Amino acid sequence: MSSIKLPAAGLAEDILVDYREDSRESQIITFNLGEEYGVPISQVREIVRVAGITRVPNSPVYMEGVINLRGRVLPVLNLRKRLKLQVCDLSKSSRIIVTEVGSKVIGLLVDAVSHVVRVPAQAVEAPPEEVLEVDTDYLTGVCKLKERLIILLDLEQLLKREKVEIKETGGDGQEG
Amino acid sequence: MEFTELIKDFLDDAEGHLAVFDASLLNLEEKGFNRDIIAGTLGPLHTLKGNAGMMGYESLKVYVHEIEELLKMVLDKELALDSGLDVLLGSVHVIRHTLQGIEKDPMTKPDLGNAIVALRSSMNGKVAASSPQAVDPRSYLGTKTDTIKVDFKRLNDLLNLVGELVIYKTRLHQIETQMRAQMESKTFTKELKDGLEFMGKTIAGLQEGIMRARMLPVSYVFNKFPRMVRDLAKTQGKEISLIFKGEETELDKTVIDELEEPLLHIIRNAVDHGIETREQRISAGKMPSGTISLTAGQESNYVIIKVKDDGKGIDPEEVRETGVRRGLIKADEQLGHEGLAALIFSAGFTTKREATDVSGRGIGLDVVSRNIAKLNGQVSIDSAPGKGTVITIKLPLSLAIIPALMAEAGDEVYAIPLSSVDESIKVREEDIHLINNREIIRFRDRVIPVVRLDEFFGLPGRRQRRFYLVILGRGDKRIALAVNRLRGQQEIVIKPLDDTFGKSYGVAGASILGDGRIVLIIDVLSFWNGRERREEEGDGHEPVTSGGESL
Repeated sequence: MSSIKLPAAGLAEDILVDYREDSRESQIITFNLGEEYGVPISQVREIVRVAGITRVPNSPVYMEGVINLRGRVLPVLNLRKRLKLQVCDLSKSSRIIVTEVGSKVIGLLVDAVSHVVRVPAQAVEAPPEEVLEVDTDYLTGVCKLKERLIILLDLEQLLKREKVEIKETGGDGQEG
Repeated sequence: MEFTELIKDFLDDAEGHLAVFDASLLNLEEKGFNRDIIAGTLGPLHTLKGNAGMMGYESLKVYVHEIEELLKMVLDKELALDSGLDVLLGSVHVIRHTLQGIEKDPMTKPDLGNAIVALRSSMNGKVAASSPQAVDPRSYLGTKTDTIKVDFKRLNDLLNLVGELVIYKTRLHQIETQMRAQMESKTFTKELKDGLEFMGKTIAGLQEGIMRARMLPVSYVFNKFPRMVRDLAKTQGKEISLIFKGEETELDKTVIDELEEPLLHIIRNAVDHGIETREQRISAGKMPSGTISLTAGQESNYVIIKVKDDGKGIDPEEVRETGVRRGLIKADEQLGHEGLAALIFSAGFTTKREATDVSGRGIGLDVVSRNIAKLNGQVSIDSAPGKGTVITIKLPLSLAIIPALMAEAGDEVYAIPLSSVDESIKVREEDIHLINNREIIRFRDRVIPVVRLDEFFGLPGRRQRRFYLVILGRGDKRIALAVNRLRGQQEIVIKPLDDTFGKSYGVAGASILGDGRIVLIIDVLSFWNGRERREEEGDGHEPVTSGGESL
């Protein structure tokens, strides 16, 4: 009937859990914005130090500017401003996470990058709306690992929603 | 074009037609009589015949003509396909052999007399059982071509790579300068400097080579218009001849593509509003037929394209009246030559009372002026009532790399496309005056509005007693852009800005300098737009920033 191969000994329940975990575990890069946040490593290209940001006038407040990434002009978002968190100054530990979503390559300015963690699928829960500062629309969920709580960002949503907002608020500048 | 180049073109072309003919014949041999295939061969043959005649290869022309006749006989079933096919297949070799002869020595006039006689006799004999002759195997190869087709994207990628090279080259030069200041050993730095210079020359050569590969003659665009002018003239009962000058002038393909639309509007205008009807021209003592000339020529890094007509010109009074009727100017406002020109290029202006088939639907010269400005070019108009109108377009040779003036405002450096810059002057704060709460400068007998770049971009102001005004020109309008310092001219590689978060008003793109720093390229158009809008609104609003989300 069933074709799942089981080891010779052990509780079937435990084995099945392990099996599921292996297949649905994901790796995320975590970073600090006061609280701990994370994005899937599959969406991260590289992490660079903050240097030589050129401000772009008449752009949304959360646009930190553009940087030269090996000959490419890369837009950088200030993630604190984007998520409407309290703004803080750049420090030595500030980093830009270069993310790639679809065909877009965009840099995210964060306070500090922590590490790469493996997250089993069952550790991810729906975001608890009432306790978080952040708009839950931008989140895929929260992840509870022992003592830590990692807020998982939905980059696609973060970038996609933007276009709509821009259209609503700022058509004027482009039409002439 | 050189005669030898014409020959090359002719041979390339002929080889192509011959290949089509050859393939059709093989197809016929396989499938038997087929009207479509036979008819399909006539086109290429006809072109081949025409070209041969034009190049002076009379004998070849006659020979191809005989082949056509033979094919028509097959088509009319006067001659059985089977009996004609051998002769036709043989004729491919004859033509190919002739072309090879021309390739070896373009000056020879091939004599195909015998072959023509043979063809005719095979037609008259109807069933000429000409046995296949022994053919030199090399004649299957045809002539060699010097032209290859390349996907434009590949050339574009190459140009991007060269752009990066230019950036790194500048960077290396800066490192070299720093090293020279610190190093004791002069021979070492000298060698480095020499090496860099050679590399720089090679890169410049490479850049020029790729730019040239992207060029097309402007005739690509020009040739789209004779038919349009002919048809339009006919429906309006006008006689117009369209003539070209300098159509071999070459332009970057991207510019060629963007040029079609503006030229279309200008030429339509010339036909509709410029050239008079036959009767009007005769009564005005002009030639009954009007002339529109398209002229292209190169001046340093720019291409100048002129559209000139010998029509009735623009009546300044009519322009003024229209301006008043459309509410663009006040009823008692008197305009000079420049003011009128500016009016013609402003939005929503057309002088013709009723809309014609083509122009007069609100699309006018304002669109032209905007499109040309997008290409970092300029457009101007010059008209003499009764004599005609000249519209002049000035464009940079390339869209990817442009000369720019580097200027400082706030703590940033910005690049201003040089094509929009008339001149720059050093001024003092007291040279700027206030009229109706707007800042202006009196310069060369004109009153020019002043835009402060730091204010425009909302940068922290850093007032200096002495600063610079960059005078920007668009048509006959001027704006003075106030900046803190000028850093000289530089060739910059344009890189687009990501628009995920909206386009930033006033910024056309970015470029990377030799030291790795990014400078933003100013969208000169936004200053005019900003002014026009403010004038329409009638108050002093700053341009609305896009995506102005507040915390």
